[in-house]
Amino acid sequence: MNLNITKLTKVYPNGVKAIDNLNLEIGPGMFGLLGPNGAGKSTLMRTAATLQRPDSGSITFGGIDVQKDPMSLRKILGYLPQDFGVYPKISAQNLLDYLARLKGIHSKRERSKLIEAVLETTNLSEVRRKHVDGFSGGMKQRFGIAQLLLNNPKLIIVDEPTAGLDPAERNRFLNILREIGAKNTVIFSTHIVDDVKDLCTDMAIMNGGRVLQHLKPTAATAALAGQIWARTVSREELESMEALFPVLSAQYQHDHSIQIRVHAAERPAAEFTPTQPQLEDVYFIALREGPGKAEVGKRKAEGEGGISDFRLPISTRPDSI
Amino acid sequence: MFTTIFRYELQHWARQPSVYIYAAVFFLMAAGIMWGTASEAGGGDSGRILNAPFELNFILNYLHKLVLFLLPAIIGLSVYRDFQSNMHHILYTYPFTKNSYLSAKFASALIVVLFIISTIGIGLFIGARMPGVQAERIGPFHLAAYLQAYVVYILPNILLFGAIVFAIVTFTRNIYAGFITVLLLLFIQGIVAGIHGDPSQQYLAAILDPFGQRAIDYSTRYWTMAERNERLLPVESVLIYNRLLWLGISALIIGLVYKYFSFGQNAISIRLKRGKESTTKKHNFGSITTVSLPKVSYDFSFGQQLKTSWALSQSDFRYITTSWLFISILLAGILFIFFQQAQFNPPYGIKALPVTWAMLRAPAFLFLEIIQVLTFLYAGMLVFRARISRMNQLLDINPIPNWALLLSKFLALVKMQLLLLSLIAIGGIAVQLYRGYYHFEIGHYLFELYGLHFIRLAIWAFAALFIQTLLTNPYLGLFLLILGAMGMAGLPELGIESYVFRFNMGPELAYSDLDGYGATLLPYWYYKIYWLLLGLFLFPGALCWWTRGLPLTFPERFRIAFGRAKGKTGWAMAVLLAAFLTLGARIYYETEILNPLPSQEEEDRWMAENEKKYKQYQYTPQPRIVSVQINMDIFPESRAFNARGTYILVNKSPHTIDSLLIHYSFEEATAYRFNRPVRLLSRDTAIRFDLLRLEQGLAPGDSLAMNFDVQSRRRSLLDSHTKVKSNGTFVKNNLFPGLGYRPLELTDNGKRAKYGLSPSAQEIPHPSDSLALSNSYTSNDSDWITFEATVSTSEDQTAIAPGYLQKEWVENGRRYFHYKMDSKIKNYYGFNSGRFELKRDQWNDVSLEIYYHQGHDQNLGHMMSGLKGALAYNSEHFSPYQHRQARIIEFPATYGRYATTFANSVPFSENYFILDVDDSQEEAIGLPFYVAAHEIAHQWWGNQLLPADVAGSKMLTESLAEYVALKVLEKEYGENKLRYFLQFDLDLYLSGRAEDGAKERPLMYAHPNQEYVNYRKGGLAFYTLSDYIGEEKLNNALKAYLEKVKFQEAPYTTSLEMLPYLRNATPDSLSYLIEDLFETITLYDNQVTAVHFTPLPKGQYRVDVAFLARKYRSQAKGHRTYGKDSLSYQPDPGSAPLLSLPLADYIEIGVFGEADKGGSKEGRVLYLQKHKVSQINNEMSFIVGQKPLKVAVDPYSKLIDANREDNWSRF
Repeated sequence: MNLNITKLTKVYPNGVKAIDNLNLEIGPGMFGLLGPNGAGKSTLMRTAATLQRPDSGSITFGGIDVQKDPMSLRKILGYLPQDFGVYPKISAQNLLDYLARLKGIHSKRERSKLIEAVLETTNLSEVRRKHVDGFSGGMKQRFGIAQLLLNNPKLIIVDEPTAGLDPAERNRFLNILREIGAKNTVIFSTHIVDDVKDLCTDMAIMNGGRVLQHLKPTAATAALAGQIWARTVSREELESMEALFPVLSAQYQHDHSIQIRVHAAERPAAEFTPTQPQLEDVYFIALREGPGKAEVGKRKAEGEGGISDFRLPISTRPDSI
Repeated sequence: MFTTIFRYELQHWARQPSVYIYAAVFFLMAAGIMWGTASEAGGGDSGRILNAPFELNFILNYLHKLVLFLLPAIIGLSVYRDFQSNMHHILYTYPFTKNSYLSAKFASALIVVLFIISTIGIGLFIGARMPGVQAERIGPFHLAAYLQAYVVYILPNILLFGAIVFAIVTFTRNIYAGFITVLLLLFIQGIVAGIHGDPSQQYLAAILDPFGQRAIDYSTRYWTMAERNERLLPVESVLIYNRLLWLGISALIIGLVYKYFSFGQNAISIRLKRGKESTTKKHNFGSITTVSLPKVSYDFSFGQQLKTSWALSQSDFRYITTSWLFISILLAGILFIFFQQAQFNPPYGIKALPVTWAMLRAPAFLFLEIIQVLTFLYAGMLVFRARISRMNQLLDINPIPNWALLLSKFLALVKMQLLLLSLIAIGGIAVQLYRGYYHFEIGHYLFELYGLHFIRLAIWAFAALFIQTLLTNPYLGLFLLILGAMGMAGLPELGIESYVFRFNMGPELAYSDLDGYGATLLPYWYYKIYWLLLGLFLFPGALCWWTRGLPLTFPERFRIAFGRAKGKTGWAMAVLLAAFLTLGARIYYETEILNPLPSQEEEDRWMAENEKKYKQYQYTPQPRIVSVQINMDIFPESRAFNARGTYILVNKSPHTIDSLLIHYSFEEATAYRFNRPVRLLSRDTAIRFDLLRLEQGLAPGDSLAMNFDVQSRRRSLLDSHTKVKSNGTFVKNNLFPGLGYRPLELTDNGKRAKYGLSPSAQEIPHPSDSLALSNSYTSNDSDWITFEATVSTSEDQTAIAPGYLQKEWVENGRRYFHYKMDSKIKNYYGFNSGRFELKRDQWNDVSLEIYYHQGHDQNLGHMMSGLKGALAYNSEHFSPYQHRQARIIEFPATYGRYATTFANSVPFSENYFILDVDDSQEEAIGLPFYVAAHEIAHQWWGNQLLPADVAGSKMLTESLAEYVALKVLEKEYGENKLRYFLQFDLDLYLSGRAEDGAKERPLMYAHPNQEYVNYRKGGLAFYTLSDYIGEEKLNNALKAYLEKVKFQEAPYTTSLEMLPYLRNATPDSLSYLIEDLFETITLYDNQVTAVHFTPLPKGQYRVDVAFLARKYRSQAKGHRTYGKDSLSYQPDPGSAPLLSLPLADYIEIGVFGEADKGGSKEGRVLYLQKHKVSQINNEMSFIVGQKPLKVAVDPYSKLIDANREDNWSRF
């Protein structure tokens, strides 16, 4: 079933236009929503999850109009918010039981079997009797996943789910998503490019409340072949490089030198060597080109993607596949 | 760092709209109360100056409860905010000290609270200056009066309890702990308020009261009107000890919190049982490739949603009940209920049996209010539960309809209410077990708690959920709900009296063992159904405003609410609203159009018109009733009666009478006719007063028959003012028509002025007013009558009227009784009907009977001996008893808690039958005995002697009946018990004169309504006189007087006629007593200043006592005067001189030793003698034969002394 988002706009009372006339169609499978902090991803997802109302526009999912008939959507919706709390002093098992009731499972026997299974799936069986409010961040996130599985959802919306998970759990979680994503629609927001790269067949890059690009990760990466150039520079040189070339990213190496990546149709200078395009390049190009150059420049000045926003070197992360 | 946080906090509060709402509410309430009271709306006690410190404190006390809830809402919130927003994670890592953080938070919040409550003072100030305010109710503005009201009372409370709340919220990181703390304090106050007992216990209670009000009350309990209007509040030892105690308690709590508070991540949790400690270690690092979950079925049907709602309510209910906050409320509640029900310290030792209705009533007032506040509080907590724990995003996306969520909150609240209500039954049964009372009425408990109180609480639950859903600030919601509940009770002050306009209000329930809830039940339910309809309407109303998902702006919510109010919800709302309005209109029609009860204002106007139009006829000669014959049919099943009567009227005047003035019942339907032709000249339907002309004048000595029918008016279901009960009916002859002017007059001078009437200083004639002597205090249309009555009732009941039973028979399924009195009686009689048990006894030739309700047999013996004692005492000392029979008949407590005396019968309230009298206790008042003696004494003092209807009349009836009762009590139970009664009388006199305010009069000129003078001071005065001049001397004087006046016709006797008998019996040296006790208001202020003893040989001791003796006269308002040749004494060179009336008085001095086993509590009397005292400062020495422990001036309260404590001194 497809999720259709048409001309969606949401302006917050403080004047922030979180979603700006956004159109998007998302089909079955894993869909990654990539964007920097404040891009409007969470607003979009909360709106799709019936928690917020747009000012205008509509969202439909397989014939269900989310605004007009939220209850029908809720029956087939799984949602994991970015940040959530739980009722204190209730064990994981009991809290899941509570949620399972809300999701319409009335047979006690069925509930307990299902809860046992989701606890096992999310690797929480051992702590099933512990209070969820005492869980660590990663455990709580897994609890969030467990509750999401309770109603056999057709539309799964997960908002930055991998934040705070240890590598093993991240894997485990992405595998679960992949499993349910095979038959259903999973929308998955993140600002970590690797999550999308590893998982998604389809994706969109969002910023400023708009979809900058809607693309297939592999195709988009392949399309950049021969256009990404890398070079190692010293810290002192970086600023002049940024002035001269369209620098996509800059990363410290172990020897404190910095590797920069530049997007250009031809070799920008002799020192640059061609390099394999990555999804991250697609992301940064989209952000740079964005809705207009000026805006991207402004964002840069505010620190988005600038030198202060260095990511961990990819090489230090375990390969996830 | 302090200033930074402090300033930031203040800026934060300045932006909160709730602060201004609180401030506006307090301002408006204060201004409204002051304006309303000062511009006569309330009326009543003119003479009170409303901006005097005493009154300002009174108003502040009224608002105080509301102020208390500000403490958690502001001071608690100031620190809770940081936890709620998770700001503390960041804040606590910053480099400021615990000290500056906590103190800045507290100080800034305190400033905000002070700002809010300062509007009370401003409101009072402005309210006193509004147009329409009566000048005499407002004194000149004294800043000190306002400041003192704040400084003495409200500021220390805010500081002390604000600090406690702040500490507890900081400690628990839970703002609700702050609210619960306030409730716990209210419980403590409630428990303390239940301590009555003797003065020393009252003193203790005054110290224990958390808010200090009891201490102020204690110090001002005998304050006269003059003192209330003029004095600043006393800052005396009792208040200081009270403040110190609570200062200590709050300092302790704050100290503990300060010590244990740490800038940590987690709150300190109280765990009853420490769980097994364990660390979680991760083992399973394996990955997953398939997700296979068992198939389950989903069901979203209505029935299943309903079940889910129930299940959710269980979770919410557990959330409420498993928190230690709730458990502490529960424990405090049980304690409070038990204290209330067990009556450990009943006032004056008057204790009732633990009957079920008393168990239900004792804790109900405060406890139901607490349940109500808890409903408001937990409604907020439940509505905001998901948002507070930030779980709403997980919950709100589930396929559960809003109604199921809201319903679950409602169910949880209701379950909490049921749980709390059950405590009353549990406490009641526990107290009954503990006191060995095994008549358990489980059904009655269940019915009252769940069938009556619960409906009211459930309606509040609807309202609370609606308000808390509508508002986004649960603390403001709580505040407004409490305000609303208070406001509904206060609306009559603004002239809105009808229950139709006062949410969840309705007529009071009244219960009696004789006829249950009687006629009060149906009206109660009607109003509850009416308000329940509104409650049900508020449910879909709340659904419209229910927040689902993320918080929204108000315009958005408004749009959504209107969007939701369509379809089924809209229809449900429309139907419920229509039903509510229809029923409301119907009730309004019944109560205000068909059977309007006159409003206070209408009644005032009628009374004013009555006086203006008809007072001129007050002494117009009218024929007098000489014979009464009544046929009274009582219908207990339908609560109706039908009376037919005949008066024989005789012209006793020397002139021909040609006009008749007839007045008749306001409430019943009356018809009358005469056996001579008459013409109706005018009929006043409001005052029920007719003027008729006799076609042929009634010559002197000629007689006339008047026949009348009085039928109980047909009553609507909502009108509970019916006089007939299904069991225990008691009606009096004021139902029947009478002749002449009806003296219903306004007494409040403010109201009199409003209607253009002169001040009523003389509204009761002076005893020297010869015109007024033509009527007795009982009746102004008759003297002595012959009486005969036939009373019928249902077959299973007994009906009783004065007179002797001539015949009893059953006819057409009804039982008839024919009574006839063989001697002349005064025109005062009544009819009782009920299913009675009968106890018989005999005193000489007089048969004694008590008609009582089954099971109410605990006090029959006491009553019988009271009857016998008084019959014997009066017959021996004064004159023979005029009847052959004396009957006591029980009537339901719902008629009142009094007893009265007809010819040979004494109707007695149920309250006296269920008293628990413990004669072994010295400090217990055996009222059944005492009241029986008092009432029988009225057969002499009131039925043989009939005083004129003038000031001082009740000195001849009530004071003497009290005197006889005291004497009979002394004979039966001894001196110790008597002394306790004297103290009781003295205390009631002193507090009565404080309450009465502006109008106290000397005993012999007292107004008949001044019970504290006629009963309390009167009994004391005669007792003291008998103690000083001798019982025999006094009784002989009374006997001679009674001999002269008994059964006399008009002109009737007065206190002026009696006083010479007393004076003649009093030796010259004591003649000052007559003046002090009867002719003036005279009080002593005696005080022991120093005591010392020296052991002498042979085990003897010399006791040296220094004491002050002072005496003063009090004017009506309580100003003191000391006469022309006043005495003066300056204890220290610098101090103000002490003044006194000239003294040549005999004052008793006592020295007491160790208490004997079973003897008096004061101790064994070593020395007790009256000494003549002629100066203020006195020193005396006595030799006693035992080691002395205590010395007292006037130890047994024979003299009236407002400060009793300083009459005693211990070594």
